[in-house]
Amino acid sequence: MNALDLDGLLTFWGRRWDDILELVLQHLAVVALSLLIATVVGVLIGILVWNRPVPRSLTIAAAGVALTIPSLALLALITPVFGLGWTPTVLSLVFYSLLPIVRNTVVGLREVSPAIMESAKGMGMSPAKILFAVQLPMAWPIILTGVRVAAQLTIGIAAIAAYVAGPGLGQFIFQGLSSLGSKNALNFALTGTLGVVLLALVVDGAFVLISRSTTSRGLRV
Amino acid sequence: MTVTTETQAIGATRVAEAPARPRFFTWRRFTTPIVVVVVLALLLLWVSTLQLDSIEQRTLNWSYITLRVGEHLSLTVVASALVAVLAIPTGILLAKTRSATVRNVILAIANIGQATPAVGVVILLAILWQTGYTTALVALVVYAFLPVLRNTMIGIQQVDANVRESARGMGMTPNQVLTRIEVPLAVPVILAGLRTALVFCVGVATIATFINAGGLGDMIVNGLKLQRYPVLVVGAVLVACIALLIDWIAGFAEDLLKPKGI
Amino acid sequence: MSESTATGITAIAQHTSGVEIVLDRVVKVYPGQQAPAVQDFSMTVAPGELVMFVGPSGCGKTTTMKMINRIIEPSSGSISIGGRDVLSLDPNELRRHIGYVIQQIGLFPHMTIAENIATVPKLLGWSKPRIAERVDELLETVQLDPGTFASRYPKQLSGGQQQRVGVARALAADPPVMLMDEPFGATDPITREKLQAEFLRLQESIGKTIIFVTHDFDEAIRLGDRIAVLSDRSRIEQFDTPANILAEPANDYVASFIGHGAALKRLALVPVEEATLGAAVGTSGAPTIEFAGNLRDALDVLVLTGLPAVDVVDEQGRAVGSLSVDRISAVLGAELPGRTAGSRAGAR
Repeated sequence: MNALDLDGLLTFWGRRWDDILELVLQHLAVVALSLLIATVVGVLIGILVWNRPVPRSLTIAAAGVALTIPSLALLALITPVFGLGWTPTVLSLVFYSLLPIVRNTVVGLREVSPAIMESAKGMGMSPAKILFAVQLPMAWPIILTGVRVAAQLTIGIAAIAAYVAGPGLGQFIFQGLSSLGSKNALNFALTGTLGVVLLALVVDGAFVLISRSTTSRGLRV
Repeated sequence: MTVTTETQAIGATRVAEAPARPRFFTWRRFTTPIVVVVVLALLLLWVSTLQLDSIEQRTLNWSYITLRVGEHLSLTVVASALVAVLAIPTGILLAKTRSATVRNVILAIANIGQATPAVGVVILLAILWQTGYTTALVALVVYAFLPVLRNTMIGIQQVDANVRESARGMGMTPNQVLTRIEVPLAVPVILAGLRTALVFCVGVATIATFINAGGLGDMIVNGLKLQRYPVLVVGAVLVACIALLIDWIAGFAEDLLKPKGI
Repeated sequence: MSESTATGITAIAQHTSGVEIVLDRVVKVYPGQQAPAVQDFSMTVAPGELVMFVGPSGCGKTTTMKMINRIIEPSSGSISIGGRDVLSLDPNELRRHIGYVIQQIGLFPHMTIAENIATVPKLLGWSKPRIAERVDELLETVQLDPGTFASRYPKQLSGGQQQRVGVARALAADPPVMLMDEPFGATDPITREKLQAEFLRLQESIGKTIIFVTHDFDEAIRLGDRIAVLSDRSRIEQFDTPANILAEPANDYVASFIGHGAALKRLALVPVEEATLGAAVGTSGAPTIEFAGNLRDALDVLVLTGLPAVDVVDEQGRAVGSLSVDRISAVLGAELPGRTAGSRAGAR
């Protein structure tokens, strides 16, 4: 119904460059903030439960269940309490990021081979020392992979959060929807969608670099 | 959304399957439906204590809710079925393609596809084509296609090279190796992909409301717009319950259908 | 399938005991590689013979073996089994009549043990009762109780048990030829020794023509009728019986492969009966060696007890003679053409 007009799209981009940039930065900011919170909380939970079978499986089962809840439903559910905008967005993004991060923390901590744990113990390291000097550094690549997966997840979900007035490129997508029929509808939606895709790819690439520069050289494959 | 299990790190081996559970009927297996029933009961109790105004009465009644639930389920199930029929054979063909380039290109496209926001796909399709059920269905199929395709390919490719070689060494034709060895061994991974697709679909079907395709998203959006929180809450909780139940049923089916011995 | 292919297969399939395998100037060049992986490999394996390919990893021994059932297609040369050119046969049909065991076993994890073993018979269209009977028979042959194991899955078995199932599966259609690629390589030493002993006993009764790849020279000595010591590009450095290779390694390469203690390894191959026995000593309470034992065991007893001689007893436990260190080394000397027993004895 609304064919793509490349010239129109380019003009659109030219005219709204500032808006686009701002939305991209907003999107990035809300994702980064959420990931930061989720990483701190997630790794902490992981550290607390990795060695306790029952809390561990309960936590991971709960996080797995949480991930199946449709994001629009969650966003809508928390708006009566937290209102619109950044707060419900960040909360739900943290919520969805927890599963990959907690799970990978647990797996990473558990994956350190018994031989290494035993030799660390044999050298007289305390459990806390082992955790911070041996286990966490060794688990780091796996934890980071969890954060990376969470990043992909949240970049997409943040687009939906625009419906509850969340920040970021989702606003353009919904503007496209609300101007359905007008000639700019496609430009809005396309710009928003492509922006999210590009952002996701760039962030993913950035994670590859981060993982390379923060992983012990001895652990790199 | 990713479905993995406790023993596997996400990302590294996202297709991996759960270790076989020793016993089939355990209390843990029925936690999900019990939780869902309790939540629904609480919801009903809560709604029954409310004084509903006329707007709320229009939506918070059995016939309206059944209609929306029906729409939501129909979108989810039809889309998932289409995806199964389309993506599994395609995945098998691709896994058997000799050209590594073709496979890598497809996997790259699949990865980009996963980075595409569902809401963008749905709304773009509506703008470019039309609004309504069919568009939503197409968007769901497009969106859920990728995990199933990917898991099918990976499931077949990850079959132990030694198992494949001994099958060949025993004189199975390539087709026999595929149908008797590779596909059965890929079943758990393919099923995990389908389960992911189903959960995807429940979520994306919620967004279908934006393009007038019905479903429980209607209740959420109307509740938000009209500031009728009971409507919003009922819609959101119902969708969450459906997602949990479908994931649970799919997990159940997975355990039933996966070949013993794996 | 063409008629000649069909008759070719039948010609191979009608045998259940071993047939001759001939490889003639077989070459394998992998695409994109300059040097051939296997260069001009020629060998004739007699019916019922157990030939060991031994060599370092990467020498092409496995590639050579896998060309026989065309898991790897030869670049040139010819291979025949029982006089039939295998390259003219349908590879899938061919493989159904060649037993194949690999180190990683490759049992199908989604099938029960019985189903695993029944794979080839099913492909060949055997009737259900015949398959069931064969599965039970084979499980008993490899010393696994059918009642216990038939309906289990591979992951429920230990490594050694899985390897037995692997052998049973390869024997399912009673093929005249078996190809075995380090079948016991992944098992622990004790299990390996047990499997080797079982395997020797089994081969005695079935008499297949077997090509057995290993990098373990001791395994080669223990099992092989003849050993082919291979170096790079599957070059045959020596192809002879274990005793001859130990007594007279063809070159330094073979000698280095044998490693230290060649004489001791040889002794293990020589039965007591080949030695000239001295008069029985009859020391009461001293350990004895059985007539059916080998000279290495005899030497072992001598070294352990420090006695000048050990009594050899027959099956009834009657002393029939005795062995001393001199008598044992005399046997090695006598086996050595060109080297006199005296020079050996003098060296001591």
